[in-house]
Amino acid sequence: MNRTTLLLSSVALLAVLQGCARHQTMYAWGDYDEALYVHYKNPQERERFVASLDAVIRDATQRGEKVPPGCLAEYGWALMEEGRHDDAIAYFQRERDQWPESRVLMDKMIRNAQQKRATNPSTPAKGPAGALKRS
Amino acid sequence: MSRHARVAVAAAILALLSACATAPRKDYSKFVAAQPRAILIVPVVNKSVNVDAADYFLSTLPIPVAERGYYVFPVNLVKRLLEDDGLADAALVHGADPGRLCALFGADAVLYVSIEKWEAKYLVVTTQVNVEFEYVLKDGKTGETLWTDHEAMAYQPDSNGGGIIGAMVAAAVTKASPNYMPLARQANWKALSFPGPGFPAGPYRPEYGKDLVADTRL
Repeated sequence: MNRTTLLLSSVALLAVLQGCARHQTMYAWGDYDEALYVHYKNPQERERFVASLDAVIRDATQRGEKVPPGCLAEYGWALMEEGRHDDAIAYFQRERDQWPESRVLMDKMIRNAQQKRATNPSTPAKGPAGALKRS
Repeated sequence: MSRHARVAVAAAILALLSACATAPRKDYSKFVAAQPRAILIVPVVNKSVNVDAADYFLSTLPIPVAERGYYVFPVNLVKRLLEDDGLADAALVHGADPGRLCALFGADAVLYVSIEKWEAKYLVVTTQVNVEFEYVLKDGKTGETLWTDHEAMAYQPDSNGGGIIGAMVAAAVTKASPNYMPLARQANWKALSFPGPGFPAGPYRPEYGKDLVADTRL
């Protein structure tokens, strides 16, 4: 086999592998787990985790696929920490609509967000989630 | 390598591993009877001396469980809520009544994971990384154990690559910060794979309800 054929066949093989790979996971997770790991490793990296959630949600929505379980809720929580209660509620509702199993928790989160909004409508951003006490 | 490709490689390795495995089949009768749909993954109990391992490992758990076709509660949100409730200590959470935990979140079952080992052994020209995990799934209604698994894995970087000098460089690098994460992820995929020791397909997988019948390794 000459060099070009070898190169071409490896490209083809790669393409096949990539093609299969798309169907290996049910959901497109982006770098969700990596970003969560980095966030736990260095609490300053909260923004990266939040951005990763946002990317996963956009990606799935754009392609008309289900957002992987939990991602909408995690994103809602991040918004709630920043005092954006209305936006948080919208994401908790989306999680509940997509995943009926989340109903009990999401109803609770929505109530929490509504209470916080009522008691302190203009809560300033609470700061990075990671800045909270770590155990 | 893209994320999909990485997952695919892990899955392929797994397929090979499970093809060779001759482990006796587990009793899935309780699991099947409980029909869990929504799984609560609670913070990890850490029995290793590496204090950060619990959080790191927690980040590797939701994807493989969700990919088995179950709803998985947002692990970071769950962790924060438990902390707010005074349950910052994972051992306290693991000791709590699974029925109460499930009721709190609306889950069907709780997955408790413990780190038994998370360590690096420094040999002369290489570093061997060892991880060992215990997985227990308990039913939210009865509190019964539905499934357990135990995984131990070791990784020693290939020292043939760059000869003795290359190996020493590699050991120096891993010594500074041994990378446990690929090994931890691999352990999870292995623990949860089916046919294998793992979860039968959940309601979000097309083979839900059919794979147990198809698995003829008896």
